[in-house]
Amino acid sequence: MSNEPFKTHSFSATAQGLESSKEDWSELRSLLLAPEQSQLDELRERLDNPAIYARDVSRVLPDAFTLRGKGDQHLATALAPFVEEGFAAAVRKSPRAIVDAIAPIMGPAIRQAIVRTLQSMMQSLNYSLEQSLSARGLHWRIEAWRTGRPFAEVVLLHTLRYRVEQVFLIHRETGLLLHHVAADSVAVQDQHVVSGMLAAIQSYVQDSFGASKDQTLDHFQVGEWTVWIEEGSQAFLAGVIQGAPPTTLRQHFRDAMDRIQVQQADALSDFHGDTAPFTATHPYLESCLLAHYEAPPQRRAMGKWILGGVLLFGCAWWGWIAYQSHARWSHFLTQLKTEPGVVVTLAESTLGGYRLEGLRDPLAKDPSTMLIAAGLDPSKITAMWSPYYALHPSLITTRVHSMLQPPKTVTLTLESNILVASGSASVEWARDARHLAPFIPGISGYRDDSLMAISIPDLLLLVNHSVIRFNSGSSIVEPPELAKLQTVMAALRNLDLAASQSGRTVSLEVLGSADETGPETMNLQLSESRAHAVLAAIGGKQFSAATTITTGIDSPFLKQQRGSAGRSADKRIVLLHATLTEPPNTGEAVRP
Amino acid sequence: MQKKVCMLGGFAVGKTSLVRRFVTSLFSEQYHTTIGVSVEKKALSVDGEDVTLMLWDLYGDDEFQRIRESYLRGSSGYILVVDGTRKETLATALTLQQTVEGLLGPIPFAVIVNKSDVRAEWEVDDAALDELRQRGWSLFLGSAKTGDGVEPLFLTLADRMLRQAV
Repeated sequence: MSNEPFKTHSFSATAQGLESSKEDWSELRSLLLAPEQSQLDELRERLDNPAIYARDVSRVLPDAFTLRGKGDQHLATALAPFVEEGFAAAVRKSPRAIVDAIAPIMGPAIRQAIVRTLQSMMQSLNYSLEQSLSARGLHWRIEAWRTGRPFAEVVLLHTLRYRVEQVFLIHRETGLLLHHVAADSVAVQDQHVVSGMLAAIQSYVQDSFGASKDQTLDHFQVGEWTVWIEEGSQAFLAGVIQGAPPTTLRQHFRDAMDRIQVQQADALSDFHGDTAPFTATHPYLESCLLAHYEAPPQRRAMGKWILGGVLLFGCAWWGWIAYQSHARWSHFLTQLKTEPGVVVTLAESTLGGYRLEGLRDPLAKDPSTMLIAAGLDPSKITAMWSPYYALHPSLITTRVHSMLQPPKTVTLTLESNILVASGSASVEWARDARHLAPFIPGISGYRDDSLMAISIPDLLLLVNHSVIRFNSGSSIVEPPELAKLQTVMAALRNLDLAASQSGRTVSLEVLGSADETGPETMNLQLSESRAHAVLAAIGGKQFSAATTITTGIDSPFLKQQRGSAGRSADKRIVLLHATLTEPPNTGEAVRP
Repeated sequence: MQKKVCMLGGFAVGKTSLVRRFVTSLFSEQYHTTIGVSVEKKALSVDGEDVTLMLWDLYGDDEFQRIRESYLRGSSGYILVVDGTRKETLATALTLQQTVEGLLGPIPFAVIVNKSDVRAEWEVDDAALDELRQRGWSLFLGSAKTGDGVEPLFLTLADRMLRQAV
């Protein structure tokens, strides 16, 4: 160290001295305070440099938070708005990250909520299904609609007699909850707090009425809920019951309480807040969770099954009947559509039956008989048929026969709508047929080339002019006479037919005759024999009832015919005499 | 583990306000005036053990100092609440403490002087507080409005009750 600053100098020297003195001081200060100065500079830099300052704060920040958090709630209160704001911003900015972070917590919670909701829904659904089919159910549905309450709730209110919803096991002295059970789908409030309040109410009632320790609150009622209290020496059971419980239910509570007291005697005596040992009381409490509905569930289920079965059987039966009916109807329609003379224009099913409309030829088959044959009930079918003429060959034939009524000897055939008549018929029928045939619907022409028209007078003439000749003394019809007789017989058959068609009768007399040779007695016998021989040859059985044949030997006709013949040979004969008799009192016109 | 704790104090000292923000409330305050008590729940964790405090919030009455003894029965601890702005509530608390101790014996309890957010208006002075501390009481200054002192109050009492139970 120098002592120069303490010397005396001139002005310039003094100024120089002062300068030198400052340097000395500076040197001295740096010598004395150098370490502190560098520390001060370092500190200033740390304070002035935000990067260093932030690093330093970050080292102590966690400890500072912990320390302050232990002391009071100021830090949480102060940070809360920023945390909320930051969280909201994070959710907006990156929702995916938030979802990933809370998914492990929310998943189980959501599942549990869904399970509870489904349980509740299932219960509602069960009640609804059980009651929705009955008349009473309909009444309740109206009530639900009127009051705006859910249907399941209305059903529950009406059918529920009672249901134990919750059971609390409560320590008598402390009012602390030892154990608690609740029925499915029951919304449970905080059971610990409820337990405390139940104990408080119990004490309040006891104090208010100056009751002794043994006189405790037995039950109380709020709306449709009743709370039953079953006292033990150190604990009591409280059951929350919806509806009107029977007195027999009390026994369940008593039994449960007694068993718990026996089983948990030590745990109750030493109870200091640890409720773990009372988990063992769960079965006893659960045994009190009883419920009773209006009808036994088993019977109701059985009834439901029976009802369902009956309905199912009814549906199946109805379906089978409907199917059969429809099948029969379809089959009937197919038949009807192929039936000649029937045209179906409308076929539809109506409420409880069927409706048919169409055209029908009067000569076609009657659809109502077809209905019965098809197994359908005619009363269920309304049919409206408009008449028309069908041109089906079978119907034209039927129509022709119906209108012309031909005799059996006539055959009518259709050849491309031309009606062809063949065989034989009376002249009158042939004439009428010729006139009528062209007017029959479906007939465009008529031909009767092959029809032999027979005239009754001609036939009578032919028969009555027939003479069968015999040899002398013989009653045998000789072959030439037999041939002649065949022609007569054909005429007789036509006459018989014509008479039967016109309602008239034919009387045929076979008259035998002999010449005068020999005794008269023999001649009479010979005459009779000849008549019978001719009758046998004619064969009376081939004629109808319209023809009556008799034999004779004496008649004006015979005498007249014989008289005209002078020769003996002309007297050995048999004559035929046919007469026609008109029907008695016939007012109807005879149709040919 | 569950513990029954009674909340005691004079009329309108803020017992209900003090706990409502920090507990599970199920019932309305009307129960106070009807049956004189409302039960609430406070869940805590003390040294890793879960503790449920069932808080029986008793209706306070300065004039008659009447409390239903039956409500106190079975308590493992109690909390005395004093309104710092009303000196007479301290006296009420002292009386209540004597009553409870007479009924239940020396069980854990803690005192909270409420309304620390308006400290300037306090009538209860430091000397009075010191006197309580000298008695060895667990004393907390807190506020129902800000939440100050409430958590430590419950934690301390829970811890003491658990240790006593052991």
